[in-house]
Amino acid sequence: MSSLRERMMRLRGASSQNEQPDAKQPASGGDSQTLVRSETDEHHQDGRTDHSEFHAEKHPEVAHVPGPDEEKLSPEWADMRVRLAKTEEGEFLLRETRYPMTYLHGVHRLDELYESVMGLASFELWSEAKSAGARRVTPGTPISPVHPERMLFFDLETTGLGVGAGNVPFMVGLGFVQGDQFVVEQMLIRHPAEERAMLCYLTNKLHAYTHLVTYNGRTFDWPVLSNRLILNGFRTFRWEPIHIDLLHPSRSVWRNTLASCKLSHIEEERLGITRVDDVPGSMAPGIYFQYLAEQDPKPLLGVFTHNEIDMVSLAVLAIRFGHLLGGELGRRVPYPEGAEETLRTGLWLERMGMTDAAEALYARLEHHPAAASQILCSLAERDKKCGNWPRAVLLWQKVVLEEEGALHPNWDAHIELAMYHEHKTKQIRFALSYAETALTLAHTRWAGLRLDAKKRAELDAIRKRIDRLRARLERLHG
Amino acid sequence: MNRWTGKTSGLDEWLHLLKQQPEIMENVTHWHTLPPREAITASLPGDIHPKLVGALGTKGIRELYIHQADAYRAVRRGEHVVTVTPTASGKTLCYNLPVLQSLLENDSGRALYLFPTKALAQDQVAELQELAAAMDVDIKSSTYDGDTPPTVRQVIRNAGHIVVTNPDMLHSAILPHHTKWVKLFENIKYIVIDEVHSYRGVFGSHVANVIRRLKRICKFYGSSPQFICASATVDNPKEHAERLIGEQVTLVANNGAPVGEKHFVCYNPPVVNKQLGIRRSSVLETQRLAGQLLKQGVQTIVFARSRVRVELLLTYLQEIVKNELGTKTIRGYRGGYLPKLRREIERGLRSGEIRGVVSTNALELGIDIGQLQACVMNGYPGTIASTWQQSGRAGRRAGTSVTFLVASSNPLDQYMISNPDFFFNQPPERALIHPDNLLILIDHVKCAAYELPFEAGELFGSEPLEHMLEFLVEEKVLHQVKNRWYWMEQSFPAHGISLRSAAQENFIIIDMTEGSRVLGEVDRFSAPTLIHDEAIYIHEGVQYQVEKLDYPEKKAYVREVDVDYYTDANMAVELKVLHVDKEQLSGELMRQYGEVTINAKATIFKKIRLRTHENIGSGPIHLPEEELHTSGYWFSFSEEAAATKSTNDMQQALLGLANVLVHIAPLYLMCDPLDIRVVPQVKAVHTKLPTIYFYDRYPGGIGLSERLFHVHDELLGRAKSLIASCTCLSGCPACVGPIEEVGLLGKSLALDLIDMAKVPS
Repeated sequence: MSSLRERMMRLRGASSQNEQPDAKQPASGGDSQTLVRSETDEHHQDGRTDHSEFHAEKHPEVAHVPGPDEEKLSPEWADMRVRLAKTEEGEFLLRETRYPMTYLHGVHRLDELYESVMGLASFELWSEAKSAGARRVTPGTPISPVHPERMLFFDLETTGLGVGAGNVPFMVGLGFVQGDQFVVEQMLIRHPAEERAMLCYLTNKLHAYTHLVTYNGRTFDWPVLSNRLILNGFRTFRWEPIHIDLLHPSRSVWRNTLASCKLSHIEEERLGITRVDDVPGSMAPGIYFQYLAEQDPKPLLGVFTHNEIDMVSLAVLAIRFGHLLGGELGRRVPYPEGAEETLRTGLWLERMGMTDAAEALYARLEHHPAAASQILCSLAERDKKCGNWPRAVLLWQKVVLEEEGALHPNWDAHIELAMYHEHKTKQIRFALSYAETALTLAHTRWAGLRLDAKKRAELDAIRKRIDRLRARLERLHG
Repeated sequence: MNRWTGKTSGLDEWLHLLKQQPEIMENVTHWHTLPPREAITASLPGDIHPKLVGALGTKGIRELYIHQADAYRAVRRGEHVVTVTPTASGKTLCYNLPVLQSLLENDSGRALYLFPTKALAQDQVAELQELAAAMDVDIKSSTYDGDTPPTVRQVIRNAGHIVVTNPDMLHSAILPHHTKWVKLFENIKYIVIDEVHSYRGVFGSHVANVIRRLKRICKFYGSSPQFICASATVDNPKEHAERLIGEQVTLVANNGAPVGEKHFVCYNPPVVNKQLGIRRSSVLETQRLAGQLLKQGVQTIVFARSRVRVELLLTYLQEIVKNELGTKTIRGYRGGYLPKLRREIERGLRSGEIRGVVSTNALELGIDIGQLQACVMNGYPGTIASTWQQSGRAGRRAGTSVTFLVASSNPLDQYMISNPDFFFNQPPERALIHPDNLLILIDHVKCAAYELPFEAGELFGSEPLEHMLEFLVEEKVLHQVKNRWYWMEQSFPAHGISLRSAAQENFIIIDMTEGSRVLGEVDRFSAPTLIHDEAIYIHEGVQYQVEKLDYPEKKAYVREVDVDYYTDANMAVELKVLHVDKEQLSGELMRQYGEVTINAKATIFKKIRLRTHENIGSGPIHLPEEELHTSGYWFSFSEEAAATKSTNDMQQALLGLANVLVHIAPLYLMCDPLDIRVVPQVKAVHTKLPTIYFYDRYPGGIGLSERLFHVHDELLGRAKSLIASCTCLSGCPACVGPIEEVGLLGKSLALDLIDMAKVPS
């Protein structure tokens, strides 16, 4: 053995230099995972709700019935409210925390979930529409609400990134409504050999639920769990819930507004939740490896707490989207302040089949005092696509006015109007005038710059348009 | 011959005319004619499905060549098989036939095909799809590689009957995600590995370990697939395939495919300076022969040993034929070209639109470019096996073909050209792999643990597995619970491990002439000598100068230039012995084998004028030193021997001998000449005696110097006869090296030194 170690050290010493560049190579996993899994430690200073204060006032009720096996565990585990679970496949650990449904987490109360289930049902229509190849839900499709007790909130803490066969979930967090309580149930394995027992327990629970709610679960948590089931001999297990992955609507709405779409960031910026002393998810694997090496459970408390808050936040985020889809905009959910978020929320609601709610947002945008040209153009683009020409023209005209006085003008709206007048109204003179202004703006903006191929192509296109319009005018007027 | 155009009616007539040209024939050292051979066939085996018989019929196949029939029967008996056949002998049918037959019998079965390159994989899928269409059955075959769009990946994983991929993809994408491939692994019946001869050296050692992992995963899903391998001609196909897949295999080597008449012409450029032993440049001679062939309208492939040579020859040839053919009909082909360009060239060759191609050994593998009529090799390709492969690119089943081997002045070429018997009578080289190189092995144990926990009692390679697992536990990569070892680390091990060694970490070359575009790439080991600052990099016949090499970022920025020189760089090497594993006295020499450390650094580059190849200037190279820990073999002369010569004489004698040895060493190894390096030392740090060292250019070694240690006596014997029989007076590039390098007495000093060794013959 020692000879093998020595040989390895010699070979490595020599080759370490060669392999240096590898160290820079990032580990696997798409952006989405890094986004969610590597949360940095950010603290919110001016949050409306401070978590510690929160705890003092309305600490969740803790249901803690000591089981007969509990004395087997060391007192450190008991201090964390962790008990031993036994299955026919062996043992693992369980931690349960019960929140009253009246619990206020940030700006929403957990019992708002009962009202949001109607809206949440739209997700089922959305996944049906998508699998049928449609890009949006047909408005007015009838729906029946989700049963709150049949929704399972789900989040894994794993030993690595990516969805390869060797990434092990060492902690599984579940959240569900039971009577007048929201239960967070967390499973932990003390070593990898306990995984089978944990999965056995989990698979027995899953069939009680029809909906699975996750954050990035579609590309991460669920595929990882599927891997583990295959590897641990549950190859034939089938459970096909309706999967609501809240990362997707979060991206649709906040992609350009928030610095990141990490759950913790959305919590702070939109849900009024501030985490105190949170252990970032990216540190969880390291803490777990330390536990494996040293067998001291204490540091794991931070991981438990992090995962627990994730579960409650997930429920609150579901409430938020449920309200949005349930027509609660302007009531239980405030209208977005920024123009960008207003537009994105509208576009998302429209895709989800909520045309009226979307229209209400578009209407606000039209008269929004600080809507940037780009956003107005995006809305006009949407109007153009669905044939709402009057508003599209109105929006473009608004932009045209804005841009003609701008320091770094943009002429997209000019071109749009030129096309509109050339093809729709056949007012070639107007079309020509817009095209000519576009060319002037382009020259103003790019004056003195070296033009690359792309810019040259754009100028050429405008010139061609002008030539064509002039030719048409001549033909018309001899 | 058409007296107006100077064109002959065909290759036969041209060859006849060639024989009457004394200025060519006086340089021909050997003209070997391989007679045409009739096909040896067998009737289609009786159990072949009528649909498959029908599909073969549409391709005009009504009976099999004998080797195809034998391979089919061996596979049907349930044996692992390796077939060895030359280019264009219908080897794909050896595996497609049993695989398709099995799928027709049971369409829930699956097969995995491995090819060393993506291009080969694509050819294969096209062929399989054509057969499936002709049978009108729903047998799905698809490539699965880095170019496969994510949207179709899932379909292939679940529904592809035949998945065609490469070892790298298997290593980094399929095995670590095996849980997504349940359908494949539960039902896999066959694993086809084509071009097994290309899996040698470091790459082959890695691939052997990937196959160990593959078998482990198959076992987990309860399957035990049969391996069907195909190889080009090597000395040890059965042994090599067995080491690669770790199973007993049946060898099928009775080639029954017909071949047309084939002329093999050995051509040695004339001596232009007898004093210095300088011959005419092989590049110029290659250009002359290839130019004649191309002007005759003979579709010709030219092989050159390096990328620079490819580009030089391409430029010259395009110039020669631009009036007759236009430059677009002569193309280059080498590793640095981007895939799209390569596919375009392959298509052009098949359709006949491209009349000539200048290639590195990249076109040596079975990429489908059709069969050409003539092949001109600029320099001996380095191995007998490669020579036959390259020569096989010219040659149709009917009709004449010709191969010219134009020797360069390096000693190996000169040895081959003056000993053609060696080439025609010697079996080709042995394919060597060393799957138990500790570094490679440990890397794959990690990957394997990621894929599936290890259990006590498992086997993986020759090192005791539990020692390796314990080591990895100490390294905090694995976690042991009772008799199982689990992967417990955040990283994804396969991403840090490249099968093609460091050579695969390519440097990108960016052309800044107009905007910026990626021009090509070079491997990491070549970067310090090919794309250092101020180097001239030639691409598709156009010269570029490197303005800046960003070493850490692996990027070289180049700009188009028009200069009359190219560049050539030198490396300085330091060597230390760490450990002696074996030693033996032979004659007066002590030879040893063990572990060594090498420090190498690119030092200067020379500017060499185009066409005349004279040295017109030089400059320094500032790049970091590379350290390498590997295995080496060395021998030292006695103190008495050392005492007979001045230090300077000894220096030149050693250098001369080392030059010869390193050039002929590949005779015993199937490796790239750059894989084995030599360092002579007048007073070695380790032995304090005059010593010549050989080492493997890969961490941990891959068995090359070990083999040289064993053939040491033969190696010295050959070196002696090469030097003694060289026609030069006092040393030339074809033996001990040019006199500028080894001095006026280099040749006799080196001979003296060998005599002192008293090699037992």
